[in-house]
Amino acid sequence: MARREPSLFVRLFALMSLVLVFGAAVLMTAAWYSARQAADEAYDRLLLGAAYQIADAIQVQEGQPEIALPVSAFELLALSDRDRIFYRVLDPAGRTMTGYESLADPAAGAAAPGKALVENATFDGEVVRVARVSRRFDDPQMRGEAVVVVAQTVEARQALARDLTFRSFILVGVMGAIAIGGTIFAVRRALAPISRLEAAIRQRDPLDLTLVSVSTPRELAPFVAEINGFIERLRGRVELMQQFIADAAHQLRTPLAALEGQVDLLSNDDVTPEGRKHLDRIRVRTGQLSRLANQLLSHAMVAHRERAVARSPVDLTELTRRALDEAIPDTLERDILVTLHAPPDPLIVSGDPVNLAEAIKNIVDNALRHGAPARITVRLSRRGDRAVVEVEDDGPGIPVAQWARVVQRFGAPSSDGKGSGLGLSITAEVAAAHGGALSFVEKGAFGFVVVLSLTIQGREFV
Amino acid sequence: MSRFIARLIPAGALAVSVGYALLLALSVGAHAQTMTRFPSVGTPSDTLSIHAATDLYALAPLIQDFQKLAPGTTVEILEYVTNDLFSAAARACHERRPLGDVLLSSSVDQLVKLANDGCAQRVDGPNLPRAPRWANWRDEVFGFTFEPIVMVYNRDSVPAADVPRTHLELAELLRREADRYRGRVGTYDVRLSGIGYLLAFNDARQTTTTYGRLLESLGRAQVVVRCCTSEILDEVAAGRLLIGYNMLGSYAYERVRRGQPIGIIMPADYTLVLSRGAMVPAHSPNPALAARFVDYLLSERGQSVGRSQSFFFGLDGAAPPGIEGPDVVTSGIARPIAVGPTLLAVQDAARRKRFLEDWSQSMIQTAP
Repeated sequence: MARREPSLFVRLFALMSLVLVFGAAVLMTAAWYSARQAADEAYDRLLLGAAYQIADAIQVQEGQPEIALPVSAFELLALSDRDRIFYRVLDPAGRTMTGYESLADPAAGAAAPGKALVENATFDGEVVRVARVSRRFDDPQMRGEAVVVVAQTVEARQALARDLTFRSFILVGVMGAIAIGGTIFAVRRALAPISRLEAAIRQRDPLDLTLVSVSTPRELAPFVAEINGFIERLRGRVELMQQFIADAAHQLRTPLAALEGQVDLLSNDDVTPEGRKHLDRIRVRTGQLSRLANQLLSHAMVAHRERAVARSPVDLTELTRRALDEAIPDTLERDILVTLHAPPDPLIVSGDPVNLAEAIKNIVDNALRHGAPARITVRLSRRGDRAVVEVEDDGPGIPVAQWARVVQRFGAPSSDGKGSGLGLSITAEVAAAHGGALSFVEKGAFGFVVVLSLTIQGREFV
Repeated sequence: MSRFIARLIPAGALAVSVGYALLLALSVGAHAQTMTRFPSVGTPSDTLSIHAATDLYALAPLIQDFQKLAPGTTVEILEYVTNDLFSAAARACHERRPLGDVLLSSSVDQLVKLANDGCAQRVDGPNLPRAPRWANWRDEVFGFTFEPIVMVYNRDSVPAADVPRTHLELAELLRREADRYRGRVGTYDVRLSGIGYLLAFNDARQTTTTYGRLLESLGRAQVVVRCCTSEILDEVAAGRLLIGYNMLGSYAYERVRRGQPIGIIMPADYTLVLSRGAMVPAHSPNPALAARFVDYLLSERGQSVGRSQSFFFGLDGAAPPGIEGPDVVTSGIARPIAVGPTLLAVQDAARRKRFLEDWSQSMIQTAP
């Protein structure tokens, strides 16, 4: 037995989810990184702006550098309102004019001292962002570069980065949820043709050998083609086999007819009583054999027509009348009263007229053959959406215990050798193919009744 | 250790504080710190040490009410003038030794400077979010009062026509009636008083021209400078001084309530509003108790006690009756001095040095 594989839906969903989770992780990392960058850029501008303002406030008075720290620089820095601020202003000689002596100039001894820069550092045990700008003085009394170093703790930028990251995470989360929902929807939609195909195949009648005609996407076409190929081969086989049975039965009939003729000729000659007894037996067996051949032929025909012939509206009353004509041979030895009760309106069913006629003939033939000493009554009626053919006879009927078997092929060959065991099974098959059923009513006050009910408007016949 | 100290002390701060210490020793020896003890109501369990630059009379009702909530707490109050408190706290912080559990100072710029230098610790409490945004920095420095900065005058000696309504009117009055007011106007000595410096600095920022004229007029009028609001109020009440400039509204109003002949004016051009600051120093021995006290100051109960008995103005700006001038909050003339890093510019050593030089030049040296 093949190992049970996880369903396509589970596979697709799991793979898509994996891709989504991976994508979300990448996006979130990128969001976190860019949020930090954005926060740093925003606050670095403030830091540099403040440093420039302070540098601008340096003045030379009587050859001495003077600094009056502008409040606006601190107002700028106070925009990150929880952060500590450290600063230091150095005159061109490198002396600290004001601020925190221990705040190092990050560009001290650098190759390009004139450049403004912002970088990370630590001060007083705290992580800070340090901005450094310089201002060149070419005053006759004072030459060189004054340097302003401003440092600020990083609470505000971390808070901003956290905030930005959090918002991005929410967006990524919402996108992820939408993507997962979309994936479920898309996968279900994409796999729908498989379910349709499955339903179409599951609902087929086992005897239905027509081709599968469900429209499928390209990917499923090979399977459908393969199934149809298989059905065609099977149908070919079945047809071949039935053809063989039909041919065989047909081929048998001619020698059987000759045989019957020869037996009839023999009976008129002088034969010993002992011989006559054997001769009668041969006659009965020959008749039996020829009937069997006829019914095999009939069965093959019915089976063939079931598959091959399209259904058409059939007037059941007219059909039954003709079937009775054909079923009751002129050469019957005994007098039997056959009556047909039909409703005034035509009773139209959708079906194959030949098969239906065959089915009714088989019932009547069965009644004639097994009893029915004097009377066969056929009643047609309409019950709801069903057309019902009841064949009642005054014979002994079929015991209840055998009802189930007589509708099977060779299920109940009659013990007296008169039946082949095929007649009622053919009728039952035709009934089933027309959405109907074959049933029996036990012999009561009137007689034994065989009931053939047919769907007038089955869903296939609309 | 010594490297650490050197690292943290801003350039010039040492020199300046040495200079102040000298001045202090010379002129305000009477204001050396004093300690007052409020014994616990119940069985003593712990001691809260408050180092304050706030008048005791204003603090006492708050302390007593707090002790009802914490009956086992003994409270010690050490009184300072603002600059002394600052230098003592800075020194203690740099040496990493404790100086009290709570610092209270009207000179919030000094508290902000301490917090910026890592000398404060973060305070948590259920009532702290009640502080307005401008009165809270880093959850370390809290403003817990709303104190308009007013002008006062002696009701008996200053004619109604002379009472100035704005800063400019004061400058013009001193110029016009120079003889009458010479030597009879008092204000803070900004060299000694941190709050005086903070107020003068903010005056200078509000209107440079008016401030210049006022400074000149005050100098001509041979202004009397003192360390503290209370000294000037005493002299105004006694009639030795006629006008006091840049006084803390709460202290002045307390005099009015006591029936002293003092009139209070909220200047109609702009009224500075100061929020007295509270801070828990980094090396506080009792940080939890300290936080509880700071939280109490900002609680509904603490604010209500403060409004009715100590500072008379609520943090919402509601003014008590009997004050001349428009309602500062609704008329939009209030200029709250925000507790925040902007005050670091005020505390910059170079800037301060220069400001004090200018001030001294105008105020002291123009005097004969």
